[in-house]
Amino acid sequence: MERGVQGEGMEHGVRGDGGDRVFADGPPTRSGASDRPDVFESRLAELMHASREPARFGPRHREALRAGVRARRRARAARRAAGSVLAVAGLGLGLFLWPHGQTDDRPSAPGPRPAVSPAPDPSGPPSSTPTGPPTAPETTSTVLPDAPTVTTSDPPTGTASSTAGDDGPSPTATASETWTAPPPTDTADPSDTPSSVISATG
Amino acid sequence: MEQTRAGEYDAFVAARWSVLFHLARLLTGGDRHRAEDLLQESLVKLWFVWPKVADEAPEAYVRKVLARAAARSARRRWWGERPVEELPEVAAAGDMSAAVAERSRLEAALARLPPRQRAAVVLRYYQDLPDRQVAETLGCPVGTARSHAARGVARLRELLADVIEPVG
Repeated sequence: MERGVQGEGMEHGVRGDGGDRVFADGPPTRSGASDRPDVFESRLAELMHASREPARFGPRHREALRAGVRARRRARAARRAAGSVLAVAGLGLGLFLWPHGQTDDRPSAPGPRPAVSPAPDPSGPPSSTPTGPPTAPETTSTVLPDAPTVTTSDPPTGTASSTAGDDGPSPTATASETWTAPPPTDTADPSDTPSSVISATG
Repeated sequence: MEQTRAGEYDAFVAARWSVLFHLARLLTGGDRHRAEDLLQESLVKLWFVWPKVADEAPEAYVRKVLARAAARSARRRWWGERPVEELPEVAAAGDMSAAVAERSRLEAALARLPPRQRAAVVLRYYQDLPDRQVAETLGCPVGTARSHAARGVARLRELLADVIEPVG
């Protein structure tokens, strides 16, 4: 590629004829097979060096340089400040958007465990506790139904014995004495006696 | 500390200003103002890295910054270079010396090169850098740098044919 380019250059660069040509054998360059620069290249380098005109680093240049340093320093500081502001703003926004109610977003209770796991232990008490309360009402309910039946069935005997108390003690009278505990029913309503009698006999 | 740093930096800049300015001028194809701006910019960058490069190669650093900025600058069209078919007229012999005329022709010819080719040619023939260092300075592969330099020289052969006379 380079040779092609140089060949092209040679076409334009060759002047004169014969051995006086500048690039008679082609332009060997420092980057080519030969490191020896050709005449044109030597002359070019020479011309570049010779064209240098003296320039002095004066106060004007120094001032401009200082001003450039100051401007760049300011720009750096501004960039750093802007970066800090952006970082703080981002942090603030992040905190603002952070959920406040931790309970809402807290993950729910651990998922259901397998049936074989120690889950039966915690599930045992709940199953027993529900059964407990029903039993308690049952006892009371059994007492309550029993009590009316007893009171309703016995008062007739009580009334009977009380009515027959004047005649003398009877086996039923002794029994009625033991059942004198619920006498209120006895005095409560005389109208109940027929039914109680019926129930007793029945 | 700051005073010492500033003193060393000033001494370096004052000592190398002329050489660096000429390099910048060649890299910009003879644009004096653009060359000054480019050099200022590079030296400002040097100030901030001075503690790191002061003991090593501050001039190589400036050269690298200059060359890369010059190679980039044309893409940004900072100084609005306009290619023309014919080179500007050569000044009459009485107007300026032969050396100045030659310099003017050289700068005009360099200005017509693409920036990367110009940078490669200048680094190689003015700074006398080998291909590897030219590539390193421009931040491109060695083959690319070599190609840029070769194409640039080929173009300069056309443009400077009447300036660089055949030798006997």
